[in-house]
Amino acid sequence: MWLVRPAQPGDLKAILALAEGIGPRLSSTLPRKDEALAAKIEQSVRAFQNAGGTTGPDETLRFLFVLENTDTGDVRGVAGIDSSAGHGQPFYNYRKDALIHASHELGVSNRVDVLYPSHALTGHTLLCAFTIDPELKGSEAFELLSRARLMFIASHRPLFSDHTVVEIQGVQTENGEVPFWDSLGRHFFNMDFETADQHSGALSKTFIAELMPPNPIYVTLLTPEAQAALGQAHEKTRATYELLQREGFQAGAYLDIFDAGPVLEARTDSLKTIVSSLSGKLHGSPTDDGERCLISGGIQAQFRCTVTSMQEALTGDIKVPVKAWHCLGLDAGDSVRVSPC
Amino acid sequence: MLIIRPLQDNDLEALYAMAQSAGKGLTTLPADRELLQRKIRHARDTFDQRCAPEAGLYLFALEDTELQRCVGISGIQARVGLDEVFYNYRLSVTVNASRELGVHVRTPTLHLSNDMTDTSEICSLLLSDSHRGGGNGLLLSRCRFMFLDQFRRHFSEKVFAEMRGVSDKEGRSPLWDALGRQFFDMDFTEADMLSGLGNKSFIAELMPKFPIYLPMLPDEARSVIGRVHDNTAPALKMLQAEGFNFNGMVDIFDGGPVVEAFVHNIRTVRESTDRIVMIRSIKPAVDQVDEQADRSEIMVCNGSFQNFRVTTVPANCVGIETISLSQPVASALGVEAGDRVRLAPLKDTGRNPTYSRRDADHAGRSSRG
Repeated sequence: MWLVRPAQPGDLKAILALAEGIGPRLSSTLPRKDEALAAKIEQSVRAFQNAGGTTGPDETLRFLFVLENTDTGDVRGVAGIDSSAGHGQPFYNYRKDALIHASHELGVSNRVDVLYPSHALTGHTLLCAFTIDPELKGSEAFELLSRARLMFIASHRPLFSDHTVVEIQGVQTENGEVPFWDSLGRHFFNMDFETADQHSGALSKTFIAELMPPNPIYVTLLTPEAQAALGQAHEKTRATYELLQREGFQAGAYLDIFDAGPVLEARTDSLKTIVSSLSGKLHGSPTDDGERCLISGGIQAQFRCTVTSMQEALTGDIKVPVKAWHCLGLDAGDSVRVSPC
Repeated sequence: MLIIRPLQDNDLEALYAMAQSAGKGLTTLPADRELLQRKIRHARDTFDQRCAPEAGLYLFALEDTELQRCVGISGIQARVGLDEVFYNYRLSVTVNASRELGVHVRTPTLHLSNDMTDTSEICSLLLSDSHRGGGNGLLLSRCRFMFLDQFRRHFSEKVFAEMRGVSDKEGRSPLWDALGRQFFDMDFTEADMLSGLGNKSFIAELMPKFPIYLPMLPDEARSVIGRVHDNTAPALKMLQAEGFNFNGMVDIFDGGPVVEAFVHNIRTVRESTDRIVMIRSIKPAVDQVDEQADRSEIMVCNGSFQNFRVTTVPANCVGIETISLSQPVASALGVEAGDRVRLAPLKDTGRNPTYSRRDADHAGRSSRG
């Protein structure tokens, strides 16, 4: 069975292998260096431990989950939640906005698109670091890994903000060139995207962002390639993007400052998984038949989430096959949460 | 004789003809009779002190007294940006630096600015093709500094000139195409013309207000920022010789540079001196003039605000304390024997009548002879 659980120090090698497989990509949320990644896992372990002691969104709460095949023990995916985007530092985006340059005297009115540096999303809950074995793309495990985070949010709601955001990777050519970076950021760093990306992973994204020009940028002065890339998701993120759209995330005015990928936004309490999930007591089901659904249980470090068939959940009793109990490490009568696939 | 005097109503046709032949690129004097008429009236009001000093537009005509026609014009606007907004881009530098990353990148940046507001501008220089050469352009340009010098309280301490930027034969400006046009879909020549008709600030209001990072502009646009049109190179050189320097501001349309100088530092102003007029009755025969004599030209002006006049005389007319003028010249300047006039060398190579005693002595002798 597929299981999502908090990341452990022992997952380091597996996560590193996954991170290396994703190619050039802003690595600030998933470092590709041993020590940085180990520190990140350590931070996540502490976050799960400390979560009980905090009453609201907190910059130290940076959770990392892994997708494990319980039959083999293999870790095949990783995904994270930052309780508070920017984790204490400004969280940078561009906000695409419009100005009307008008002259009554000349009878002219022109719409001018402008990218404003913005910190408005700082402190919103951020879904991040989603990385999965490409073979699993579009599978049930894929959906599980992504949505398990929302199950976690549903059962630990006070730890998260009223708004949740996700950064989607922007356009990048097969040669690794990022048109938006080449048209803008590159001028201020004199380095290509990959180099900047590595620095971003080693230091922090905010660190790099603070070296970007503080003034608004006129869209019309970007190269045509960069303009075309604004708010466009990378081809390979399509499955993720669609899944998040089904959850209720929408692309708004915010763009990534490096590759101009869209930032998806949603009200946390309106997310489909959170709205449709319900809690009940765990009970056995004699068959494997039934509606497929996500099921999670346990709090903080004991949190587990898997996909199973469910017989019924109407009376507050959630009847699922016993092997799902084992997977979650729970027993009959324990409190669980389910949400349909 | 060529003489500088305030522009008059009857100069309209001559002015119109000159504006027409100048064609594109001279935004302050478009070939538009009504507009030119308004300018003349404005200038008349200014010299007659019928308008507020800061609203003044001083337009000087170069008159060929034989033709009895205006053959050139130059101007000073007392203050810019008071009844409309005066825009420039300031060319400055943004530095992005990080020790950790080993990054230290300088990015040239254009900032929209109104810094020249309330400053005097020298402008509108135009010389008829028939009178090019022989220092006539210099006289037209430098007569303004003699005026500035004598009536400093009507002007700011600093004066500036906007130099025409680069455009090609078809009137295409690389900077306009890369920048202005992106915000206001219009040809440079058209925008430039609208500017001349007094719509420059309207267009400026359609232009980008946030800083422009130059690396985002194409090379051909970047390379013309702060550069002058080939036709303007001599004018720039002349102003540089007067002590004007690029002040980091450029035109928002074509990127032409703004040059500026403090009035007291302008060469013509620094080298100006006073002399008492003597009227000489005998015209010195040309062939009598000593080979060694100083033949450079000296600008002479009267001290009248309303009836300001400037003309040139040979340097050998200048004595230690006096200047000897023929009656026609004195009449043209509106001065009499015993009046005080102000002089300054016309050309950069001209010897300074004040500082070189030997030359002054020499000039004095030859004028007596």
